[in-house]
Amino acid sequence: MENELPEAGWKERILFFLGKRTGVLVEGNSMLPTLKDGDAVLINKKAGFETGDVVLANHPFKQSVKILKRIGEISADNKFSLTGDNADESSDSRSFGAIPKSEILGKVTCRLK
Amino acid sequence: MFDRLDKMNFETAEAHCDGPCGVYDPAQARIEAESVFMLTKKILDLKRPEGDDAKAHAAYQNTLTRFIAIKEERAELAKHHVLVLWTDYFKPEHLEKYPDLHTLFWKTAKLCSSCKQEVSREHAQELLDNIKKIHEMFWATKNKDVEWYLASQ
Repeated sequence: MENELPEAGWKERILFFLGKRTGVLVEGNSMLPTLKDGDAVLINKKAGFETGDVVLANHPFKQSVKILKRIGEISADNKFSLTGDNADESSDSRSFGAIPKSEILGKVTCRLK
Repeated sequence: MFDRLDKMNFETAEAHCDGPCGVYDPAQARIEAESVFMLTKKILDLKRPEGDDAKAHAAYQNTLTRFIAIKEERAELAKHHVLVLWTDYFKPEHLEKYPDLHTLFWKTAKLCSSCKQEVSREHAQELLDNIKKIHEMFWATKNKDVEWYLASQ
């Protein structure tokens, strides 16, 4: 799989304890095989984004719901198209459209065992 | 100490689809639209009792009220199922193949509202006709030949 997520090393774990990373639990199968239901990941909220990154974002239509998706495309007007790695089981920018950068909360840096 | 992180305090992020994963069928909208059509017909055909028989009038009011209440409910359900297909199932690549997709769904959703507000056999029939078009479009995207039928006939 392209852009496979690394396992969390000691550096990422220290950054978590220093408050530089946020922990998030994955719910659902839309990011298979990269992430499965129940996986835990760490998020860097200060990171920049590029195509291929897995990111945490606000759901555009559901208040207080956060989603984990991969950036498929960044348009010239800085809108981000998000897709699930498992397209058959994903509601993403194909249905809710591209979302602005302000709705992207952080980049997934690694997966926790 | 860094080996084990307490995941209990982690927030949850969704990585799934909004609907029952991948399971869609316009039959749900068709069944509700059929109910709307049949109830509209029943309301129009219902005979007001003659004379002053209180019991007969009560029975008439009760039946009419029930028909109206169920028609309202079913028209709303039909709209819900139409909107789920429109917003969750159909994707931009389908729009390329069916350029009138948005117009069809928009008009169908509006027909659901009309059927809820009015007692119009014409609009109820038009709603069924539109859902038939959605049925044909939907199954064509899956390369399946699924016959259109009405449960009430």
